[in-house]
Amino acid sequence: MIFNEDQTDALKEFMNISIGQATAHVAELLNAFGTMHIPKISIQDMSELNQVVIDNIDKDSNYYMIKQLFSGKFGGECVFIISEDSANNLGAHLYEIQMPLEDDITDAVMELTNIITSSIVSRLTEELDVQVQFFAPTSNFLNASNIIDDDEVTSYSKIIVISTELEFKDKNISANIFILTKDEAIISLRDLIDKKIEELY
Amino acid sequence: MKVLVVDDSKLARLSLIKSVKNVEPATEFFQAENGAIAVEVFKKERPRVVFLDLTMPIMDGYEALVEIMKIDSDAQVIVVSADIQAQAREKVLKLGAKNMFPKPINDEKMQNIFINDLIV
Amino acid sequence: MDGLKCPEVLLNSLENGHFVIDENFTVTYWNRWLSVSTQISSEEIIGKSLQEFYPDINYIILLRKIRTALRLNTPTFYDSNSNTVFLPIIRNKVTKTALKLIQQQVTISPYIVSENKVMVSVYNISELHETKLSLQKEIEKVNELNNILEHDQEIIDKNIMIIKTNTKGTITDVSTLFCEFFKYDKNELVGNKASILKSGTLPDLVYQELWETILSKKSWSGEIENKTSSGDKKWVQSRITPIINETGELVEFNAVYQDVTNEKLLEELYITDPLTQLYNRRYFDELMTSITLHQRKADTDFIILIADIDHFKSINDTHGHQVGDEALKDVARVLKNSLRDNDVVARWGGEEFVIMLKNTDLQEAQMIAEKLRTNIEKRKIQNTINITTSIGLTKYYVGEDTNLTFKRADNALYKAKESGRNMVVTQL
Repeated sequence: MIFNEDQTDALKEFMNISIGQATAHVAELLNAFGTMHIPKISIQDMSELNQVVIDNIDKDSNYYMIKQLFSGKFGGECVFIISEDSANNLGAHLYEIQMPLEDDITDAVMELTNIITSSIVSRLTEELDVQVQFFAPTSNFLNASNIIDDDEVTSYSKIIVISTELEFKDKNISANIFILTKDEAIISLRDLIDKKIEELY
Repeated sequence: MKVLVVDDSKLARLSLIKSVKNVEPATEFFQAENGAIAVEVFKKERPRVVFLDLTMPIMDGYEALVEIMKIDSDAQVIVVSADIQAQAREKVLKLGAKNMFPKPINDEKMQNIFINDLIV
Repeated sequence: MDGLKCPEVLLNSLENGHFVIDENFTVTYWNRWLSVSTQISSEEIIGKSLQEFYPDINYIILLRKIRTALRLNTPTFYDSNSNTVFLPIIRNKVTKTALKLIQQQVTISPYIVSENKVMVSVYNISELHETKLSLQKEIEKVNELNNILEHDQEIIDKNIMIIKTNTKGTITDVSTLFCEFFKYDKNELVGNKASILKSGTLPDLVYQELWETILSKKSWSGEIENKTSSGDKKWVQSRITPIINETGELVEFNAVYQDVTNEKLLEELYITDPLTQLYNRRYFDELMTSITLHQRKADTDFIILIADIDHFKSINDTHGHQVGDEALKDVARVLKNSLRDNDVVARWGGEEFVIMLKNTDLQEAQMIAEKLRTNIEKRKIQNTINITTSIGLTKYYVGEDTNLTFKRADNALYKAKESGRNMVVTQL
């Protein structure tokens, strides 16, 4: 299943708006960010997930990986990957302490994930007019080489990759978001996009 | 009336054009997919209104805004962006934009823009 | 019930904790499970702040989660793996347990957004968490074992030459030591035929036998001569094992090589005559012993020639030892070049050479001997000195003591000398 140029353009624009809103939410709710750049967005085949992840991270570093499942007609999984340093910066800020505990960091990362995931997915599902159920995110602290298990890639076919960079005071917080979706979800998304495009021409 | 629509997304440009047409049917549109092209088109065509996105490749909206204001300090630039943070808004208003609105812009919002922010 | 939209009986029947609070942490609902588990009744807590009962909760965080839930109209969560539990509730488990307090998964859902109220749901996930903890321990153990295994594999990779090929001889994998030894990059070898390593000096027969053996699913061992990427010859002791799958089909070949180049060189030195580079007498003797010991049919059909340079002593006396040595080397070269690959020629001692012609009938052997004699006769040492040879010829009889064979050959040679030299005499 391929997205043509118009569809990709539309999806990117759609995601930009969602992320823009998520950013505003993050800024407001976490009272956190100086600037959040509008992220880079791409659509990849699931088979490329490993490569995509590797391209986006430093293989010698450790990462916090938060996964959040959402189910319903537009079901899938959000994978949020944030480097140890970034997570430490985030944890220190959110918990307002110098040396946050690992639990605090995880909680902070989960909170950020949850806000971003639900902002993005809620907007998508609103547009698609479908209900979505969010599940509690699960966290893992991993070395870069262990981030994606090959067994995991089988149940999804397309990934929407969102790389984002947040600037906070003098510290950088950067993260990558991977939205993994099943074929039917992508099809309904594409149909929606087609409808929107049709309205314009 | 000449209107320049600047956005790297074709869909975003089409969507804006559609709403403008709805308010001002007799409009001549010019499009640009980045700031650099936008500045060139602005120089040549001197459009009455510019709708400007912020995040674009080659030259972004902030830079383009500065260049356009240099060419014509009375230019009417409306920034339309997915970045809806207060800071971004402050910055573009300081640089000379007439106003800034979050994406997406629907017909009703466009009507208000023409009533409240623009002199046509 | 303060604004509760669903029947109280329903929430009270659930085996999870549910309570409603607002942005000031004032509790407006507290279900039965919570009353029972926390020993705080709903009458006690409703209308009061949660802070009075649970001062240790981080309320900055809680407030943020409540606000997020209300603004985004979406549930927010606490990390269920966290070591800090949200509401400390003692687990009344008598048997041994890793968890003293109930492990909780806490979800904060928007409830009545206009009144800034959220529903906090507390799920008991202790059993799950316990399983997870013990699983984690097991995984750690497995990881440790894997590390050891990986380490072992690394040692093997760096210290043993291993080559794997598919059934057609295309290389599929090689160990690091293998690459180092043959001076190739791994990717230069993988995908290529194993035959690129052949030195080209071994008879095809060796490879034929090798392939027949391994294709019939038997392992093969032997010494083969290979060459490195820079062309250096290397002898390896190779053991090739065919790998067979569950259904008995041949899948691939694994071979372990051992460098025996030095041994081979020593061995060669041990059996080579330093002047003529022919085999020495030691080798020939061993060969004869081995043949007569095993009495294999294919080996026992041979002819023995003993060739002796005529008047060698006077060549030495007249022209000096250096010329004598030249004569020996020249004769050796002529003999070697006039014989077939399968024939064996050795320096027997002094100016005597011994030749074994394999699988040859008498008439043919006599023709070969005659050819040797004439080839030597035609040759001039240092372009001036003529030399000739006398040759004694005999046949080996299956089962006989080789001393007898040599004796007959010697006799024949003696007769040739007696009868005027530069001739071949046969004695059967």
